[in-house]
Amino acid sequence: MNLAEQIRNKAKELLESKTVECVIGYERATDGLTARPLFVYEPEEVGKLIFDQTCTHNLVKYLLNRRDKATAIVVKPCDSRAINLLLNEKQIQREKVLIIGVVCPGIVETSWNQTSEKLPARCQLCRQHTPVVYDFLVGETPPTEPAVPKPYADIVEMEAKSVAERQSFWAEHFSRCIRCYACRQVCPGCYCSECFVGQLDPLWVGIRIAPSENQVWNAIRAFHLAGRCIGCHECERVCPVNIPLMLLNQKLEKEVGELFNFQAGLSAEALPPFATFQKGEKLGIGE
Amino acid sequence: MTQFISKRNLLSWLKRLTEEHILIAPTRVAELTLFQKVNRVEEIIFDFNNTALSPKECLFPTTETLFNVEKKDGQVELTPVTIDQKTVIFGLRPCDARGIALMDSPFLKEPADALYQQHRDKITLVGLACLTACPECFCTSMGSAPDDPSNLDILLTEAEDGYIVQIITEKGKALLPEELLSTTQAPPPAPPSPKAVPTEGLVQRTQQVFDTPYWDRLADRCIHCNLCAYVCPTCYCFDIRDYTDKGKTERVRSWESCQSLGFTRQAGNIEPRNTKGARLRQRFAHKLLYFPEEFGALGCVGCGRCVRVCPVNIDIREIITDIQKLGAKVEA
Amino acid sequence: MKPENPFLPYLATLQNVTDLTYDVKLFTLEFNDPAVRKSFDYKVGQFVFLSVFGIGESPFTFVSVPYKTGLEHAIRRVGTVSSALHELEPGAIVGVRGPFGNCFPLEEYKGKNIFIIGGGIGMAPLRPIITTVVDHREDYGDLVIINGARTPKDLVFAPEFDTWAKSPGTRLELTVDRGDENWKGRVALVPSVVSELKLSPQNAIAITCGPPIMIHFTLIELKKLGFTPNQIVTTLERKMKCGLGKCARCNVGLKYVCQDGPVFTLEQVSELIEEF
Repeated sequence: MNLAEQIRNKAKELLESKTVECVIGYERATDGLTARPLFVYEPEEVGKLIFDQTCTHNLVKYLLNRRDKATAIVVKPCDSRAINLLLNEKQIQREKVLIIGVVCPGIVETSWNQTSEKLPARCQLCRQHTPVVYDFLVGETPPTEPAVPKPYADIVEMEAKSVAERQSFWAEHFSRCIRCYACRQVCPGCYCSECFVGQLDPLWVGIRIAPSENQVWNAIRAFHLAGRCIGCHECERVCPVNIPLMLLNQKLEKEVGELFNFQAGLSAEALPPFATFQKGEKLGIGE
Repeated sequence: MTQFISKRNLLSWLKRLTEEHILIAPTRVAELTLFQKVNRVEEIIFDFNNTALSPKECLFPTTETLFNVEKKDGQVELTPVTIDQKTVIFGLRPCDARGIALMDSPFLKEPADALYQQHRDKITLVGLACLTACPECFCTSMGSAPDDPSNLDILLTEAEDGYIVQIITEKGKALLPEELLSTTQAPPPAPPSPKAVPTEGLVQRTQQVFDTPYWDRLADRCIHCNLCAYVCPTCYCFDIRDYTDKGKTERVRSWESCQSLGFTRQAGNIEPRNTKGARLRQRFAHKLLYFPEEFGALGCVGCGRCVRVCPVNIDIREIITDIQKLGAKVEA
Repeated sequence: MKPENPFLPYLATLQNVTDLTYDVKLFTLEFNDPAVRKSFDYKVGQFVFLSVFGIGESPFTFVSVPYKTGLEHAIRRVGTVSSALHELEPGAIVGVRGPFGNCFPLEEYKGKNIFIIGGGIGMAPLRPIITTVVDHREDYGDLVIINGARTPKDLVFAPEFDTWAKSPGTRLELTVDRGDENWKGRVALVPSVVSELKLSPQNAIAITCGPPIMIHFTLIELKKLGFTPNQIVTTLERKMKCGLGKCARCNVGLKYVCQDGPVFTLEQVSELIEEF
């Protein structure tokens, strides 16, 4: 039985037994090639569910719209880390979520009406082919996780550039930002009921779409995700003007890893560094 | 016998334009095709389907100062912004030209938006006909066509070694020097046939399905990312805010979208439109019901950008087909 | 005399700022430009955008009447702009843009009985109707004013109650949701006062404004008493930005509250397609 069939059977079982109200998974998009999120409420509709290498989306954010409703969700390993993040930050209840974890073969690069055979960088560098949290596992766990040659290669390359080079690199990219906030909307880590950009007093950013404001928006979002970004790359995928957002997020992921030996979402219990203060912890100031 | 301009003459004309006009044309940047201000004509690309963002930002910029405020010795002085520079938008598709014409309706209706009016008066539109249609284009269902000259000042159609030229308005005639033109006997290439989307009676159908659970279901997967509104040639919602920097205040307007959370939030934390379904419905109701009721045309030009860009495949063509089916059921 | 750019406000100076309640102030303005002072005109029910430059702009209805000099607004401190206005002293310069919106068709109300049903700061747009009726008493039938508030301290136009009550053929019924140690009047919700008074729909217009929940239940009572949808009038609120029917922020169904409203009959509200 392939992955899709296993998911359909499980979804049908969960809906028929009324264990959940809804199963969030994937279906085929209108281009006939790529995938899109699917919400299944009736057991008769599970036939629409698919799972293949075009299933790029991280569906975990939808759990935040269904906090008090029993929901099943299909997750890849990277997505599953987002579930741990939300559990860690007490945004969802474990008992309300039924996690259908998929042993992921890697996603191929897709865009509207286009698929490929190519795995994006994040899949090539992936160290977790089995979800880190799940209730039901679909697919066979590989015997060993692959070793990853040269993690953060592109970050190291950026770090080698001079300040002036980096400034000009980012100035050019941010000049195209139209502040659609698609990056924020798709990110499971961005769930504040009032984002700092909506605040009037103090006015951190405001509505003006101009290079310096764009820089503040993107930089601060990256800081708010430091130690929290689980690396699904959805922000970069949805950006309409191709800003390489993951360079920022992964830079901070690398820093947090080096400073605190911590990676977001690997366990639901691990304390996130920027949300935790231990008694006796050194502040590193004036000592 | 039709008018013709060689590729060489075209480039030389565009170069000449940059001397007195801001020239905005499709360019390639970060693996995208975008309308940008062009200083060297070598930056212009001619081989593309359509740009990622529509040219509406030439008339309705992402951010625009409405006026400046200066406070001095207890006095206040307001200085409105004026637009002085002439602009040529080169390479827009007929669907986008129709998009501009549709945007004229809300912006120029009484009282006319002074800034939009100024932009509009100073802009000349030189279009490029489409030789191929993308799978997601449906301009012919929305009142336009791949070779539609309406709403343009000049329309160019690619032919061998150059372009067939249609001069449509006096403005276009004044812009393109006759000595650059020659003639050709070659017939214009047959325009492509974009797929059709059923729009007959759509306005009434949209009203019929307004109060059904269809919108809540559709909105399940919507992440309210605003991309559909921002890439759309006819979306025009905006926000207005004041900014003070070093004692000078500006009143600024920026693009906004009815999809964003808090769009209708009032002081006192009242939020009239606060469900995902109602928010998503507003976009389609505005385009397919309110806009045509007010201005006589559907608020969509069939450019397909929203279809290409939506991260969760909320496809307006699918929605229109669904509305037609559901509306017929509701009526029965 | 309209400025060419419809986004550009007229400059006006605050003449007077008085406390009406602990969170409502009455602002009187005068235009700086004498030509604007002369030509500016508005109708009861219309609103303007007041700007505190550097903070922003917000819509406020007039509480004054056009046939008397003096432009007045009663503003409750709720959001960013209203809070900024509350910090201003007489002499401060503000921006005024408008007038926008439709109006109460007071000519059509002549000869009819007028029932004013207001709650809290909702009394603000209703006050100029009361002023007009009281000043032109013979032109209108009976006048009944039901004025409610959360507590006695929230009754906005207390200094005028005497004038209203003493006007011939006028009944002033005050009510609060919660009394205090000094309150000797009625303690009841506004809709229950409507039903208690058994207002007759015969040759009458009921004009209501207040918190959404008060309007909701008041409409139920009025319908029970036999008022038809075009005998019930209200003035509605939506977030607004341009006031020109362009930015689409206040778009409700086929209408823009800034252009086709804010005054709507119940019949018009039910035609709005999107729930109000």
